[in-house]
Amino acid sequence: MSDLQVALTNTAGVTSILSFWIFVASNAFKNWKPKILGSAFFVLLIGFIALTCAIVARGIEAQRFPLSNLYESLLWFAWAIMGAYLWLAATLNHAGVWHLGWLASLTAASFFLYGSWLPQSQHDIQPLVPALVSYWRQIHVPPLIVSYAMFFLSGLSGLVQLWWAGRRVSVFGLIATIVLACTAIALGTFSQVAVYYLQALFVGGSILGVIFSWLSLKKVKTQAINASREELYDDISYRCISVGFPLLTIGIITGGLWANHAWGSYWSWDPKESMALVTWLSYAAYIHLRIHREIASDKLAVVSCIGLLLTLLTYLGFNTLGFGGLHSYGQLK
Amino acid sequence: MSKKLSFGIWSSVKMSVILIALTAATILVGAWCPQEGQVGKEKVFETLGKDNGQLVINLGLADTFHSPWFLFLIAMLSLSMLAASFERVFPRLMTLKNKMPLLGLNEIAKLPFNKKIEIDSSSDSSTESGGTAISAIDDVEAKLKKKGFNIIREGNKFTGEQGLIGRLAPSVTHVGLLSLLVGVTITSWTGFNGFQPVKLGECLSFEDSKHSNLWMGSLPKWQARVVETRRENHPTGEPKQWYTTLNIEDKFGKVIKTGELSVNNPLTYDGVDIYQSSWGIDSIALKFNGQKQQIPVNPMGKRFAAFLPLDQDSVMIFSVMDQKSDLRIFAKRGDWEAPKILTEIKPGNEATLGGVKLTYEGIVPRTGLQYKRDPGIFVVYTAFGFIMLGVMLAFIPHRHVWVCEEVDGKRKYLAIGGRSPKAKIAFERMVLKILEPYELQEAKLQAQRETEKVFDSPKDDHKREEICQTSK
Ligand code: HEM
Repeated sequence: MSDLQVALTNTAGVTSILSFWIFVASNAFKNWKPKILGSAFFVLLIGFIALTCAIVARGIEAQRFPLSNLYESLLWFAWAIMGAYLWLAATLNHAGVWHLGWLASLTAASFFLYGSWLPQSQHDIQPLVPALVSYWRQIHVPPLIVSYAMFFLSGLSGLVQLWWAGRRVSVFGLIATIVLACTAIALGTFSQVAVYYLQALFVGGSILGVIFSWLSLKKVKTQAINASREELYDDISYRCISVGFPLLTIGIITGGLWANHAWGSYWSWDPKESMALVTWLSYAAYIHLRIHREIASDKLAVVSCIGLLLTLLTYLGFNTLGFGGLHSYGQLK
Repeated sequence: MSKKLSFGIWSSVKMSVILIALTAATILVGAWCPQEGQVGKEKVFETLGKDNGQLVINLGLADTFHSPWFLFLIAMLSLSMLAASFERVFPRLMTLKNKMPLLGLNEIAKLPFNKKIEIDSSSDSSTESGGTAISAIDDVEAKLKKKGFNIIREGNKFTGEQGLIGRLAPSVTHVGLLSLLVGVTITSWTGFNGFQPVKLGECLSFEDSKHSNLWMGSLPKWQARVVETRRENHPTGEPKQWYTTLNIEDKFGKVIKTGELSVNNPLTYDGVDIYQSSWGIDSIALKFNGQKQQIPVNPMGKRFAAFLPLDQDSVMIFSVMDQKSDLRIFAKRGDWEAPKILTEIKPGNEATLGGVKLTYEGIVPRTGLQYKRDPGIFVVYTAFGFIMLGVMLAFIPHRHVWVCEEVDGKRKYLAIGGRSPKAKIAFERMVLKILEPYELQEAKLQAQRETEKVFDSPKDDHKREEICQTSK
């Protein structure tokens, strides 16, 4: 890695942490809040630009499309999270969007940290295995990573929505579930804990956590309800899915086209492929639930968090928790 | 009048969600559990242990995607989708052309989102745009038109629609999904596929190909002979690309076509696609004192190696990387820490080892070829196109507005209402932005009226003073 690339990537990492703290600090200064929030947006924008340059620099240095291993995909993910938040904040131009802002910054920062802790071999630019030498790679992978980022934001937005719907217990339940899932993934990446425990932690924790949160939707703190914010985040959550779902569709289908072109079968029930299909179906269920508002919006918010967990499982879980499969760019060894 | 189809619960959105969720859960299990058909029984036992492995196989979990349960789900999903399409989705296409009714003040007030604003009835001019005054309703109409709304107007009422094309989404997506199933069925009933490692000089045969139980297809009469195959490396020694040249021969051995393939660049003949999927070295060709011998090798890290025991305690190791690399010969004895290199021979060269003249003629490569005939692929690709298009259309927000300008009592009002089931907030914000000037005007109008009222009633001196003070 060249120094320039390291500097740019570090700038992006630092700004994401900085903007997180600025978002948090804005609470302490009621009078200055709009200005402080504006500066958090600005800081995040700088990080986004730096990261864009870092990715381009990496591509130039490697002389190939810079999306071929886990580390690079994490950079793309953080890029998409930052970009999508900036897009939402700019188009909705709404003071209330910042509740998502600190979550987005936190997510981007966590992904930077995760990426920086990966072994050096991931940071180094390495030659591609024959299967990845294809222009299809740049058609197939970016939509997937960006769709994962959109689903993440959608789930986070669902959390904020539940918060303003007064469903605090559910929110805490879901946060605990997501933290547990992330812990399983971190352990799977960096420790030697047997994968079966981690699988049980991820899957068991997710199932119990989601059931708990679903049942606690009945517990409402009425004085905490803010209907207009609740509606805003419901809208944002859907908006993110409305970008993510077509992208995931395109990603899965172009993956099929590539596979068919490369080794003659567009679908082989490879674990990661199947998992992406599960995620796709879960969002298909989400949009059907939404068609005629078949269920209440707080339940839809929980569904969007289920989607987040499935996305996490598809993107990072399958490789780090030892499910195997062909898609080695998510793998460390 | 057409008769309305009804499939009850089978075509409901509720059913679709239940079926989609069950399918997703089943696929999740199949993704987690090693599939016997893909990795082999040994691997299932290795991953899950002997007992659990056997249990999983007995339960059918190790062959999830061919299990009757999974096929049943897919069938139900298709039937339900078909039913929903005919009952609810396609008929909606017919209503696309229907004209929407125009609504008045009272009806607009009943819409989920609506606004009623008093406008200045004295002068019919509401905002100044470009120096000429236009009425409020004209102004709102122009602004909505600019945003892409399709407007139908009669007198002082109009209705507008945007994103109508988004309503094609369910039809396009569902047609895509159903055609996907048709395409897959065609392939499964008439196509075949398989994988075979082929040694240089030998033929790829289709005899071991896989096809479904309900097969109605046929296998090719020709064969493909490997006449050349090689590997190219990155400077670091990692493989970069594998190449194979094939001769297509008819049943008498006459060459009909020659072509090269590599990873990501298949060769197609007679509807059969042949893919490069792996590459290895089968054996090395040597001559010991002029006597030819082929020694099989096995992959060892980046290289391929053969072990030749010499006596109880010592072995000779032959190691090569690809067709161009040198043959390295090592010796290893039990009491040595590492093998010692004896010599390196370039392909085609010779060396003398312990009185034996050793000629390294080269490697005998083995190319891993994947092949298939897929008659349904055209339908499948078309379906892919429909699905991608459909899901993109699904997220074009569909918006309706109704606007009218009416007199109610003595005052004149502009009413606007509408719905946008998918992107509510953005829609409401857009409408409010359009109405901003009128809301200001309304506020002014009300303030003015308030003042007039006060000045008109001289008895209320106290209030008059108050107003005078605040206005200072
Ligand atoms: C059990 C099978 C299914 C049934 C019964 C079903 C039924 C329906 C119905 C009734 C609609 C609403 C049409 C309307 O209100 O205009 C719809 C919309 C839709 N369906 Fe399905 N569907 C099924 C499976 C699927 C699957 C597997 C997908 C995959 C993505 C899918 C994608 C869509 C899309 C994209 C829409 C449009 C949604 C929108 O406009 O917001 N459907 N479906």
